[in-house]
Amino acid sequence: MSTDGTVEAFRVWKRFRTDAQRWSVKTQARYALAHLRGDTDEFWRWALRDVTLHIDPGEAVGLVGPNGSGKSTLLKVLTRVMRPYAGRVEVSGRVGALIQVTAGIQNELTGRENIHLYGTIMGLTRAEVARHFDEIVAFGELEDAIDRQVKFYSSGMQMRLGFAVMAFLDPAVLLVDEVLAVGDAAFQQRCLNRMREVLDNGTTLVLVSHDLASVESICKRCLFLHDGVLQADGPAREVLGAYRTWIETMAEALRNTPGLLRLLKVGVEGIEGDSPRTEEPLQVRLVLDNPRAQETSIFLGISEGPATPIFVLRRTGQLPAGQQEVRCNLAHLPLPEGAFWLWVGVFDKGRRNGLLPWHPAARFDVVGPKLMPAPAGVVRLSPVHVEAEWDVGAA
Amino acid sequence: MSGLPVEPPLAPPAELLYRRRIDLASDVRDLWRERTLIRTVAERDLRIRYAQFLLGPVWSLLMPLITVVVFTFLFKRIGHLNTHGIAYPLFAYVGVLAWNLFSSAVSSGSNSLLNNGMILNKLYCPREVFPLAAIVVAIVDTTLSTVALIGLFFLYKTAPTATAIWLPVIFVVELAFVLGVALAFSTVIVYVRDLSQILAGILQAGLFLTPVAYGMDQVPHRYRFAYCAVNPMAAVIDNCRRVVLSGRSPNWNLLAPAAVTSLLVLVGGYVLFRRLEGGIADVH
Repeated sequence: MSTDGTVEAFRVWKRFRTDAQRWSVKTQARYALAHLRGDTDEFWRWALRDVTLHIDPGEAVGLVGPNGSGKSTLLKVLTRVMRPYAGRVEVSGRVGALIQVTAGIQNELTGRENIHLYGTIMGLTRAEVARHFDEIVAFGELEDAIDRQVKFYSSGMQMRLGFAVMAFLDPAVLLVDEVLAVGDAAFQQRCLNRMREVLDNGTTLVLVSHDLASVESICKRCLFLHDGVLQADGPAREVLGAYRTWIETMAEALRNTPGLLRLLKVGVEGIEGDSPRTEEPLQVRLVLDNPRAQETSIFLGISEGPATPIFVLRRTGQLPAGQQEVRCNLAHLPLPEGAFWLWVGVFDKGRRNGLLPWHPAARFDVVGPKLMPAPAGVVRLSPVHVEAEWDVGAA
Repeated sequence: MSGLPVEPPLAPPAELLYRRRIDLASDVRDLWRERTLIRTVAERDLRIRYAQFLLGPVWSLLMPLITVVVFTFLFKRIGHLNTHGIAYPLFAYVGVLAWNLFSSAVSSGSNSLLNNGMILNKLYCPREVFPLAAIVVAIVDTTLSTVALIGLFFLYKTAPTATAIWLPVIFVVELAFVLGVALAFSTVIVYVRDLSQILAGILQAGLFLTPVAYGMDQVPHRYRFAYCAVNPMAAVIDNCRRVVLSGRSPNWNLLAPAAVTSLLVLVGGYVLFRRLEGGIADVH
């Protein structure tokens, strides 16, 4: 049992066809001709290039990277759903994959029948499914609906059904792809707790997520994949740092994107031009070059690395032509100590056309108290600082 | 270009290219391990089918009976087909049973990978499971339909002849053929979906190009060997009738070429399946 749960990938390559119309006779004929000439390179693009990694049993590894970087492909290669073009993959022990939990669910069958079917597909014996049946039903909160056809389930219930089966699969290696993005908050929390339990039992975990906070809370080690290439592999803090820096560099490049309206100057300041402080006033100043007077919506957002803003502010109204200074004042800044990004976007009346695309415009530091830690395994949605007074005494 | 440090070589070295080994022994072992799964998937398909219809399993009885009624009208009443003393409905029903097993196993087996694409694309399990489960479903269905055959025997006050003990041999030939065709088509159809339509057409024509409604005696003697070598189902159906209704042992002169063809199709189908199966998640 001790070797169960090792994940080994040696110089893995994977490619896909690029042609938009894969099925047209014309494309196929062109491909056949190219094949005869012995040069079909233009028909393929690389999804994974030379990926080598070794994960020890019981390790929890986060896999991060922008969209289309090959994260899901890598997981599929590890689960053997896809075969690599070159290289070797070895995963020892039973593999559980939370790639799309509703994939194996059959609409026409009842919840009960689905649990049996899904469990067997994932490699459980009938006896094992029967043994865990009640736990699975309880975990998915499906007691009332278990004998109903799944097509009459809500999408949330279908999700819970899929996850509940996976949760009790007891695999040696668990691969998780972005499943935490669905389900309500309470269920997400239960999934996270279950993942912790599974980890404590010595299961190897590979977690793909864009939610860097939850990756950081679960994984000690991280992989950063970009364009099919493994760019970083190491302690979570370092790799996520590298990933955030890369996002910032990309954002920097986006900043000078031409729009109809130009952003000439950006400033984020605290009182009297200092660094902004927690719970104190903050002023954002923008200088915009507006080609013509028009009704606009100006959006400001604050984020912490990834693109999802912590909060967004909006001002809708007439914007005169020419160079305009826009000031926005916050009375009490609700952010803890740390580095943040200011995002700016200007849209026209219908908010259909971006006059200035939504993009990160400035980076700023906040001085103040540190963000309070959450209990292990709990993911905070936003790093917001809230002043609170505590009082503990005999009841 | 990306501003990131790692820049891999442009292409993988040739010695790393993935090659699929075809290893029959280990495949059979894997499949044996997955027998529960085959059973579960077959059960699922049966449940889904019966859950959607009011009459459920009764349809397995009704459909071949309807075919036989139509055949009786066409071939017996209008065509005055000579069945050498065997009641025509019995004669036709045996043929329809053997043919229905073939055609439903082949059509559902061939479309099984396409229909289970959602699962194949997300979860791993040996892919043979799906065509095999489809064949199991067809066998269960055919077994249900034999209930009507028993009824027909009572109706015409006859019984199956003792030579029916040869049936398993004939069945093995049919099964090999079915398996080969289903394995081959199931993977190719994922790549070239038009084949699904083409196959449906072939099966429809096959019902009349195979002696289902008529007997082998309608085929000139000198063509029978070649006919059975090209279409093993002709030999299968003719021999089913011989052993069940006429009380004669199988006609080996026809069953042998059919068996050879079936075996070749099975081997070819298996190799093709192994070759193509690896890429289906890429194109699904």
